Amino acid sequence: MENMASIEQTGIATSGEYLTFTLGAEEYGIDILKVQEIRGYDAVTKIANAPAFIKGVINLRGVIVPIVDLRIRFNLGEVTYDQFTVVIILNIGRRVVGVVVDGVSDVIQLGSDSLRPAPEFGSILDTRYILGLGTVDERMIILVDIEQLMSSDEMALLDKAA
Amino acid sequence: MTIDMSQFYQVFFEETGEHLANMEQLLLGLDVSAPSLEDLNAIFRAAHSIKGGSGTFGFTDMTEVTHILETLLDRLRKEELVLRPEMVDAFLAAGDVLRAQLEHHQGGPEADKESIRAVCAELETLASGSAGQPAVRRLWLECTLPADMAADSAGIDNLLAALGDIAALEMVHRPDAETPRLACWLTTQRGDGELRDTLSFYAFSEDVLLSDRGPSDGQAAQGQAGSAADVAYGFFSDEPEPDTATPPSAGDDSFGFFDAAPGAPDPAAAEATGGEGDGAGFGFFEDAPGRPEVPHAQTVAAGDSPAAIEGPGYGIYIDAPGGMGVFADAPGARGLATAPADAAPRAPAETSPGRRVSDNPQVETVRTGRRETDKVATAVGGENSSIRVAVEKVDQLINLVGELVITQAMLAEAAGQFDPVLAEKLLSGIDLLSRNTRDLQESVMSIRMLPMSMVFSRFPRVIRDLAGKLGKQVDFKTLGENTELDKSLIEKITDPLTHLVRNSLDHGIEIPEKRVAAGKTPNGTLTLKASHQGGNIVIEVMDDGAGLNRERILAKAREKGLAVHDGMPDHEVWQLIFAPGFSTAEQVTDVSGRGVGMDVVKKNIEGLGGKVELASSPGHGTRTVIRLPLTLAILDGMSVGVGGETFIVPLTAIVESMQPTVDDIRTMGGDTRVVHIRGEYLPFIPLAEVFGLPGVEDPSHGIVVVLEAEEGKAALFVDELLGQHQVVIKSLEANYRRVAGISGATIMGDGSVAMILDVTAVTRMGLANSHRLKVA
Repeated sequence: MENMASIEQTGIATSGEYLTFTLGAEEYGIDILKVQEIRGYDAVTKIANAPAFIKGVINLRGVIVPIVDLRIRFNLGEVTYDQFTVVIILNIGRRVVGVVVDGVSDVIQLGSDSLRPAPEFGSILDTRYILGLGTVDERMIILVDIEQLMSSDEMALLDKAA
Repeated sequence: MTIDMSQFYQVFFEETGEHLANMEQLLLGLDVSAPSLEDLNAIFRAAHSIKGGSGTFGFTDMTEVTHILETLLDRLRKEELVLRPEMVDAFLAAGDVLRAQLEHHQGGPEADKESIRAVCAELETLASGSAGQPAVRRLWLECTLPADMAADSAGIDNLLAALGDIAALEMVHRPDAETPRLACWLTTQRGDGELRDTLSFYAFSEDVLLSDRGPSDGQAAQGQAGSAADVAYGFFSDEPEPDTATPPSAGDDSFGFFDAAPGAPDPAAAEATGGEGDGAGFGFFEDAPGRPEVPHAQTVAAGDSPAAIEGPGYGIYIDAPGGMGVFADAPGARGLATAPADAAPRAPAETSPGRRVSDNPQVETVRTGRRETDKVATAVGGENSSIRVAVEKVDQLINLVGELVITQAMLAEAAGQFDPVLAEKLLSGIDLLSRNTRDLQESVMSIRMLPMSMVFSRFPRVIRDLAGKLGKQVDFKTLGENTELDKSLIEKITDPLTHLVRNSLDHGIEIPEKRVAAGKTPNGTLTLKASHQGGNIVIEVMDDGAGLNRERILAKAREKGLAVHDGMPDHEVWQLIFAPGFSTAEQVTDVSGRGVGMDVVKKNIEGLGGKVELASSPGHGTRTVIRLPLTLAILDGMSVGVGGETFIVPLTAIVESMQPTVDDIRTMGGDTRVVHIRGEYLPFIPLAEVFGLPGVEDPSHGIVVVLEAEEGKAALFVDELLGQHQVVIKSLEANYRRVAGISGATIMGDGSVAMILDVTAVTRMGLANSHRLKVA
């Protein structure tokens, strides 16, 4: 119930359009308004002493953008980089971050009635970052609060002070 | 019509800041014994513009202070008072108060009310004071004008205006074609000679009668009656003196205020307008000349009724500002009612939010974010020579040009693969493109460049205040004020430079007696010099004071437990004063001596990619030299390859690079390696190890780059040298976080990203690494 309450509060997940993508066998959804663009995976410049899921940085039209591989972060699927590997460029607050996913599937509309709270499990993906679980054509879609997730300490994308 | 005024606040803040700076600069440059009228006018105009602006935007606290300030300035520029040093002090203090108020409106802490009151009181005392002034006299003037002169009404207006300039007039009889006699009372501090001089243009001197006793018998009665009856008010100047008022066409300051326009020569009109002024907030008038025993006391009487001034009989408005005080009185007609008859209808337009009086087109340009410098604005018919643009826009432009340069480099690289014979046109086009891009980049970068005078101009004040406090006499010189520097650097260099200047004043330059005893002039000289040297800007702070005391620094260093010995070369001794907590001042003052500072200065300057050096000679002075890169946005770097990655090493940090032989590498305590280069043993830091990359292991297959870091020299070992580039620095922190050992990133010619090394951090990490290895 707590989660439902938080859904109501955030107002993000009540109803809106989500971009769904796959990580291994799982399907995830994020708020489409956070998405800036989708592009193919290109060579990155590695960052020294960074966690493994931070692939490095790319030059996105003159802006240095860090690239996070969510598959490594969540231990999902085989981490391969080919012509189908996709990078979703996100606008998180005033920052630009790219995430590597296996593939982008669809843009779906989800009403608040089709959202179910995620059960509390000690999973690698903290339920704090899950807005809820949605169902579309019998598929389960995990709706992620991508802004919270990317700003979290665990992602190590931001300086602690910032 | 309501327009959100807050959108113009920023313009006001910036302009007011400039006016204040301008005012301060003029005040400091003022020769107290013989102030130039032009300067006084310029100061007045600055104060007036602030008053006008703050009134328009409803910052009444600033309006009040400037109003009092303006009153005193007005009397000075009209030469009713003689400038005295304490007035300059009061003006400077008022400027400080205004600045504090301005900061308060910008969201800063509230200005100290006590100091505001003190400054206002001081200004008022000075404005009303007549100490050292010639006594105000009331004179009777009678003269007969030549017939042709008397018939010329405009000519008489001129004459009266000229008289009005130097004395308060009470008309008894205005000359006309029938009676060419001029009769009036003059209240003035001027001598007879000056009055006669003024009249000599109009009348023969033998026809002029000046006396302090008044007209003989019947004339007096008639005159007094007549004056009370009509003529007293009925005179307006329509031609301000060129030196005291700015013609509207000149567009004075950024705020288009208008000078008094001629009103109808009709007492009723004058009173009506006067009433307007009063009602709107500032009824401000000078005491009636009918009562010479009251020395020109000026009063701010908000809301006074016109009746109050009718009491003495000759209520004369010096200044009748509408609610917002935006129009200037016509200085040419001091002592006469100058409230313009058309002020009333214009005032609403003036005070309606967001609208400025558009007497001149300049007002429009101010709103669209442009600006004209004062010089241009005051020059009649001057053209726009500068525009005001938000820094973000310029930065955006610089970023875009940076992108263009990168794209151009990519194109050039791609085109290099074509056969020059077949693709001749393409290649020559690319050549042209690269030249144009380079030119474009240079001009865009120069937008951010500001002259050093922006920094230097604040020092006369600092030095004046400090020298006064310390009882020292200091001449201040600046050289190379036009040397240009990136705006961001200008902002960051100000504080360290201020610190150095304060240090020089406090520790360097001696008190006059000591200087004379040492055979020097009692006045010390402090010089600030800026110049370009290569890709650097060099800023020097020089004083001809006592110089650094080597013995005392060494003694202090020993006390602090620093590793020193007597045989140290001078430049190393001088570097000691940059150590944290180091101060040789015998006494801690509020100026300096706490020993926080020089280390901060050094840190700040090094943070900007610069260097500080000291040179000193006992008895002759000290010279501090700051070297800074021209801009923070571009860096000269050497690209090096390690484990397939490219890194940029700032060229300023590189001493040399060489290929070591196996024999050059020695081990120390097993794991720690050092390189033997020209008799020196330098710590050997493999970059691959620092960043955990698969690099070349065999030292003889790689390259050693000798770095000059904060900790001293170090040998950075890399796989290969790739080339030398000018790179545009991009922030990693904008979208990511700070990375240890990396100061930023840049985009290479092929579009890939390369990291820029933070040399000091990398050296430190390398040394720590070897320590860790040793422990393990």
